[in-house]
Amino acid sequence: ERERGGSGVRERERGGSGVRERERGGSGGGPCAEARAGAKMLLVLAEEHKEHLGFLTRVDAAVVGEFCRIAVEFLKKGSNPKIFEGAARKLNVNTETVQNGVEGLMYLMTESSKMMISEVDFQDSVLVLGFSEDLNKLLLQLYLDNRREIRQILSELAPDLPHYHNLEWRLDVQLASRALKQQIKPLLTLKLHLEQNGRRNASVFQTDPATLLHLIRKLEQALNEMKTNHCRRIVRNIK
Amino acid sequence: MELPEYALKGLQLLADPSHFSDKTFHILVEAAFESLLNPQTDGATLDHAELGNLDLTLVKQCNVAIATCVLEAGKQNADASTLSTVLEDCRLGGERIDLFCATYQKNKDKVESLLGGLARYPSHIIDASWRLEYHIRNNHLHKVNQPAYLLTLNVENGSRPTQDVTFSCTMEQLQDLLGKLKDAAKSMEKASQM
Repeated sequence: ERERGGSGVRERERGGSGVRERERGGSGGGPCAEARAGAKMLLVLAEEHKEHLGFLTRVDAAVVGEFCRIAVEFLKKGSNPKIFEGAARKLNVNTETVQNGVEGLMYLMTESSKMMISEVDFQDSVLVLGFSEDLNKLLLQLYLDNRREIRQILSELAPDLPHYHNLEWRLDVQLASRALKQQIKPLLTLKLHLEQNGRRNASVFQTDPATLLHLIRKLEQALNEMKTNHCRRIVRNIK
Repeated sequence: MELPEYALKGLQLLADPSHFSDKTFHILVEAAFESLLNPQTDGATLDHAELGNLDLTLVKQCNVAIATCVLEAGKQNADASTLSTVLEDCRLGGERIDLFCATYQKNKDKVESLLGGLARYPSHIIDASWRLEYHIRNNHLHKVNQPAYLLTLNVENGSRPTQDVTFSCTMEQLQDLLGKLKDAAKSMEKASQM
């Protein structure tokens, strides 16, 4: 669904607006900058992007609100170019201006959400646009309200490995086979449901009681790793 | 217990002291069991010095007869008297019957194991390995900061080629998986007490 109209979150890949992050103060930028606690993270907006967003100052508050709503809707469900035409006619501007404005908003939201920039940093980044106090507040609220969901959508773009969905099990006792007529063999039949890129499949396996206990021990060991000091220290220090 | 014609013929030949002395009978029976239960030996057991001067075709025929008889007995879970009856009908002497049955008893478990492994079944899980990672970021999302597990289940399916299954899961998903396996184990324990 998100592919509809060729826009939505994938918009970021187009030439369009460029947004970079930069560390303010301190010793220059680069990806390590974020790991340092308390580092300022500003979005540096390209000129073109600023121009596109500038359109928002030329329309009244209700329209801006509507554009914000549309931008978020497009991020979640894919864009619908017809809306641009309708709005352009009503406002008496050309379609491209409306499109740039809305897409500019979308890009502002996705970049901010991607970086998970703080409230303060968002406000400072937006200051350069020279918007009114009210508009700044509106944009901040839009960011805060939607960033969790936008991040959720972005996470679906990352490389996906088959991941666990569910496990069904069944306890059987095998009584006979063609080669051996009288048996009492306890068996556990498992159906492992995995999911990848939205597609699910299931595989059937079996195991015996001894191996089952062995698997349980091994997996418990894996789970307990997270509680060790080593892992706790890493989780605490990487922010 | 029904045996095919060629097996019965082979046993009758085995019974005949003019073909096999008591000693060679003993050696052949042991060798036959060995080559049946130990696939690596691959007929080498029949290369015994004492059997060297016997007719090769005869030796082979008797070897096949013994193997057929043993497998059928194993399949049906035949008891000693059933086995004795079959051997009597093939005119084996008392001593030879006792020897045969004793050897069979001694190897019964191995025979059952061998037969039990012959079946079609879903891939059997034999082991698992895991990897714990901390996902920091990707090119679509920064500050992910989530632990992630990568699990591999090692499987086998007789001599058929298999593919180990690898999948990722979060801590919660691993807890879910583990919880379900523990339920299965509890239920297995309860069933074994019934």
